[in-house]
This record gives sequence, C-alpha cells and structure tokens, in this order.
Amino acid sequence: METTAPAYITPTQATTDVEMPKLISGSQALMRCLVAEGVETIFGYPGGAIMPVYDALYDFQDRINHILVRHEQGAAHAAEGYARITGRAGVCLVTSGPGATNLVTGIADALIDSTPMVCLVGQVGKKLLGTDAFQETDVIGVTMPISKWNYQITDADEVPAIIAKAFYIAQSGRPGPVVIDMTKNAQLELMTKPFVYEKCKSIISYRPRIVPKQEQIAAAAALINKAKRPYLFVGHGVSIANAEAELMEFVDKTGIPVAVTLLGQSAFPTDHPLYVGWLGMHGNYGTNVLTDQCDVVIAIGMRFDDRVTGDTTKYIKQAKVIHIDVDPSEIDKIIKADAPVVGDAKAALEALLPLVHANDHTVWRNEFRKYDAIEYETITAPELAPTTEKIKMAEVISMLSDKTNGEAILVSDVGQHQMMAARYYKFRKPHSVVTSGGLGTMGFALPAAFGAKVGAPDREVVAIIGDGCFQMTLQELGTIVQNKLPVKAIILNNNFLGMVRQWQQLFHDRRYSFVELQNPDFITIARGFGMDGHTCNHREELNASLDTLLASDKPYLLEVIVEKEENVFPMVPAGASVADIRLS
Amino acid sequence: MTTYTICIFTENTIGLLNRITIIFTRRRINIESLTVSETERKGISRFTIVIKHDSREFVEKLVRQIRKIVEVLAVFGYLNEDIVYNEIALFKIETPLGGKPLDIETVNKEHKAWVKYWGLDYVVIEKTGSEEEIFAFFEYVKPYGILEFVRSGRIAVGKTEQGLVEYLPEAEWEYYL
Repeated sequence: METTAPAYITPTQATTDVEMPKLISGSQALMRCLVAEGVETIFGYPGGAIMPVYDALYDFQDRINHILVRHEQGAAHAAEGYARITGRAGVCLVTSGPGATNLVTGIADALIDSTPMVCLVGQVGKKLLGTDAFQETDVIGVTMPISKWNYQITDADEVPAIIAKAFYIAQSGRPGPVVIDMTKNAQLELMTKPFVYEKCKSIISYRPRIVPKQEQIAAAAALINKAKRPYLFVGHGVSIANAEAELMEFVDKTGIPVAVTLLGQSAFPTDHPLYVGWLGMHGNYGTNVLTDQCDVVIAIGMRFDDRVTGDTTKYIKQAKVIHIDVDPSEIDKIIKADAPVVGDAKAALEALLPLVHANDHTVWRNEFRKYDAIEYETITAPELAPTTEKIKMAEVISMLSDKTNGEAILVSDVGQHQMMAARYYKFRKPHSVVTSGGLGTMGFALPAAFGAKVGAPDREVVAIIGDGCFQMTLQELGTIVQNKLPVKAIILNNNFLGMVRQWQQLFHDRRYSFVELQNPDFITIARGFGMDGHTCNHREELNASLDTLLASDKPYLLEVIVEKEENVFPMVPAGASVADIRLS
Repeated sequence: MTTYTICIFTENTIGLLNRITIIFTRRRINIESLTVSETERKGISRFTIVIKHDSREFVEKLVRQIRKIVEVLAVFGYLNEDIVYNEIALFKIETPLGGKPLDIETVNKEHKAWVKYWGLDYVVIEKTGSEEEIFAFFEYVKPYGILEFVRSGRIAVGKTEQGLVEYLPEAEWEYYL
C-alpha cells in the first residue's frame, strides 16, 4: 500500500529550514516530524500535559490544520474517518489522563478495523510517573492490548526516530493505531543534538510481507483454475491495499462471482454483472445461502468474522479455501485455509492474474438470481414500496443512493440503520464506505463523517445515523459548524434502540428491556449549534427533503421519522448456520 | 493436556513482558513457568514460556498472535521431544540438632543434587533437572521438612542444528561476548 507522504514534502526540506534554531524542543521537533510525514490535519483537544505541544503548534498553523473537537472520542473517530478515506494515518493530539482514556474506544475501533492512526498523548513529567500525579494515567498499560504499537517518549532526543517509527508501523502491513505517550519534560526540554528527520523504512523485528511467495500464488491459481463453482469474498483489505483495479481485472478475466463484507463494500461496484451481494448476518439471501454450494472460496483481505460465518462448524465445509491476507495470524484463525497466501491484496492479485485462466461461470453466477428474486419479492419490494403510514429506512437509503448516483461517501453508525445503509446503498465508487464494522461503536458516524470530509473535501459525505447513536457524540455538531465542514447527516429516527429491540422481539419474546428513547428535538439542537436542518415525517416530503439536504453547501441535518418497529431481514440468527438465514 | 514450550525472541524494551503475557490472559491460558534473559546477542531477549493445552491448533494460533507484536523477532512452539530443557530448583531443608541426618550420598548420587550452603540448622540444596526429576527429589526431601522451595522455570534450546542467526538473517546484532 501507499505509505509515503506527498512528494512535495521531503525530509531534507524539513531539516534545512533556514529559520530552524540549532537546538529545538521536543514539541518543536514533533511539529517538524508531522510536517515531514505530510500530516496536514490533526484532530485534537488541548489540556495541561500537552500544553507545550499546543504552544509549538501555534507557530505551525500555516502548515498544519488543527481541528478542535468537542470530546476526545470525536477526535479518534474523526481520525479514523480521515484515514479510511485517504489511506494515510489520522492524527489525534490529546492531553494525559482523561484526554487519553477518552480516545480508548476509537483506538480499539481502529485496531479491529485495521485503520492507520497515530495518537499523540501528553503525559505528566518523567519524575512524576507512577506517583498518581494530576491527570496521570498509565496510558501505555491501558492501550497495550488495543493498539498496534505504543511507546512512551521521556526524552526530547527520542522524538524524531519514534515519530518516524509510529507512522511507519501505523501505515504499513495491516494498518492500525499507534499510541505515543509523551512526558511533559520531553515536550519542553531541548534536544541535545540537531534535529534530523529520517523516515522509517524498516524495523528489524517487524517485516510485513507485501509480495506473496510464488509457491503460494501457484497453489492458489491451481485451485482457481480447477474450480467449477468458485466464489470470491472481498473484504476491507482490498480497499486498504488500493487493489480495486486489480480485483476488477481479476474478476473480468476469471468470471468469478463476487460477494463483499460490510467493510469490503465499495471495493467492487454493485452494478457489475458479477457482483452478487453482501455477506453475513444481514447480508443478501443468495449471497449467504450459496456459500454452501461453491467449491472454491477465494477470500481476499477479510477475516471470517463471526457476523460473516455464523456457525463455523457448518461454514463452507464443502469448499477449498484460498485465504489471502497481509496478516499471517488471520490465516487459519477461524477457517482453515487450503491455500494460504500471505501478502497484500494488490500484490497477490497482480501475481495471480497471469496464472489464472480466462473463464466463464455464468451458469453458476445465475444460480444467485433465483435467490435474489425471492429476496426481492419478500423483503426488498415491500420495503421500497411500503404500504405503511411511516417511512421505512430502506426508502430513505435507496432514494439517497439514486440521488447521489451511488458515488457519495456513506458513513454509517451502528445498528439497524447501518445494516439498511449497507443493504440499499448501491456503491459505485471505491473508498466510499466508512462504518464501524468490527467493534460496532455507536456514536462513530458523526465524527467519522467530518473526518472523512476533511480527507475528501471534494466528495459528498453523507452520514446515516440512528437516534440512539446520534446522542452519543452529538456535541461534534459544534466541531462541524466551527470548521465549516459541509457534512450531510441523516438521522433515521425510530425512537428505539432498533437493533436491540429487534433481538428482544425475535429472541426474547418481545420483552423490550430499556430500548425506547424519549428523544430531544434534534433540529432545535442542530440550530442551537448553528446548523440548518429539518424533519421529514411524510413519504411525500422525502424526495424534496433529500434534495434540500444534498443541495446545501453547508452542514445540514435531516431527521427522518421512520417506522417504529421495523426489522432488518434477511437475518442469520447469532450462532446459527448461514443456511438457516431467515427472511422474516 | 500437552506441555508446550514457547520460545520468543524479542528486542529488549520496556513493557514487552506485559505485551506478551496479555496475549495469554486474553485467551485464558495459565502460564506454568516463564523465564526471560538476554541471548548471545546484545539487545535481544529470549522468553521461555511453558503452557499446557490440549489443542495444538490453539497453540499455533497463539504463536502467530505473539509473532504479531512489533518488537518480537521470532516465536517457536515446541513439544518436549523437540528441545533440550531444564530447570533449577533450590530447597531449604531443616537439619535440626538430633534430627534425622540427610543422606548426602543419595542426594548426590541418586538425585544429582548438591548442597550449596550450610546454615546452622538448615541446608540449601540445588537441584537441576526436568520438572519430573525436581518433583521426585521434592518427594524425597519432604520428610526432612522443607522450609523454602523455589523453581526457576524451564529454559530450553531447540534440538535442530539451527541457531538464532538462521532465523534472523537480517539481524546485525553484535555477539554478546
């Protein structure tokens, strides 16, 4: 994957700055490191133990855009949104103690969804470490299990090498979050040697394999060439590796049907004739059921999450499995691979391409169609042309998809609206899906959406948010307005924690235990923040409402009142086999 | 339950012990013994961790998770027959005046254990061997009264002809000695 900074910033430039004093402080060094890494935006929140860095930042405002969030969790999710869209590490800057612990959810989210992130965290002075000083938390201890790497800088001289390492680790191999805990003395003190920044290019103990071994590629190609009913599973790894073009070429040559995971969406266009749908718990009917019928699975950059596989003892038992992943620990973790390929999705597809035979699997591909017809008739058609008084979530997403031509960046939160967004948005452009997949973090979407907007200012960014999720991070409306980020947010309001309610209905005998919400007036809240918005309560207004939302050149909030007790189907009940997928 | 010996080669940095052990904690694996020391190469530490588990597949996955830690250079999971291994144990045994005298010949010849220190009314015996040998000796000295007993935990080297250097071809570490 692309991990280098933009070409116009070179380490030499950073080191030959004429105004640079001979010896600089750790904080100033940190700023120069960020510039050298090509960091353009930081999401942060100041506080006591990070004051020296903020003081240094004051002189770098022309080079680094700092976005002041309203809560550190917002900074973390915004950095994730930024990273998912740009492929470059999102950077957070926060203070010690509560500032750092408020990042924790976002760090965990970034780890499980392989999102590059560098979190710069203030810490009390070295001499105070371990004394329960004001706002001291063991951030290294807290973030150890949820970060790809972490390190405590206690000396200004360490800054350049450690920051270089941080960006290298965050952005290479399987990307992930890195936490750098910087004691206050290291921020304040002068370095004892002149500042020199060299980008990290390798670490002796960390050597991610990008180009796969040729024998693994040959074994995989042999299986693919013999397959009668091959089936391709596309995951997030394809997007991370920027392998969309290679995937397309591979599919066009081999004629293999393609299914995507939740985060694999947008890596392959939904209007391609070989696209067969979305895998997993709320995925498409035929897409799931026919996993039982294929003879070879080619899984690329996906990790067989339990929400994809259901009961693994009954999952793709009849098929040979080719598992392509850059992280060797994913191989055989859940599903035994007959032909493992350790490497980056792009490099693996490039290597496979000359070895696989041109083929046509139209008959096999068409088997999906009869299931599609059943799904369309029992679920999709009634959801898109409902007879209910209230609007259904599906109508909103489907209309949005049409109006944006499937080319917007769709940021969804967690719950029923997330599943509906994944079901009904017809992605046609790569790098368009931003959602919390592995961790399922409610409150993710609003901050991630403005992070994505910062990363892709020229693209339309629409956030789909539930009424429950919105109330977890709604203070970030302030950040959106202050920074004039024209994010479009849609609240699908059913006055329920809908997904939990659905489970309580289906599996707990309708014992609705604490899932109904007494909601505030969201539009008044938005206006209080200085953001425009309106509520749509009637089907006949939906079209015009979405037009207003999309036409706005400012941030805009649209609240759509939807059916209160709607369920997401198809559904593979937790722990059941994918063959037991329910249509109602 | 099968005994597995996991040898981990790492850079010698602060917090690495914690980073490794949380991988065991998260998967609810009890560590039977753990030793750490610097290797023949400066700056490289060697962890020897002994666990018991009934699934080889599980241990293989565990090894891959440990390998993922940035500072970890290499990880090997061994069965007992793959390695030469030993532990050291110290026994502090009562020898009160008028008590049953310790048969030093049996201690030395049968158990290959040696008295390291004579106190006024106790001795400290050093016993090197496998866990089984140490426990056999434990049973032997038990009747005399054990005041203190401590084991070092297993240390092990692989039986293959390869040295660390073969696994770390790009390493440019200076030899320790």
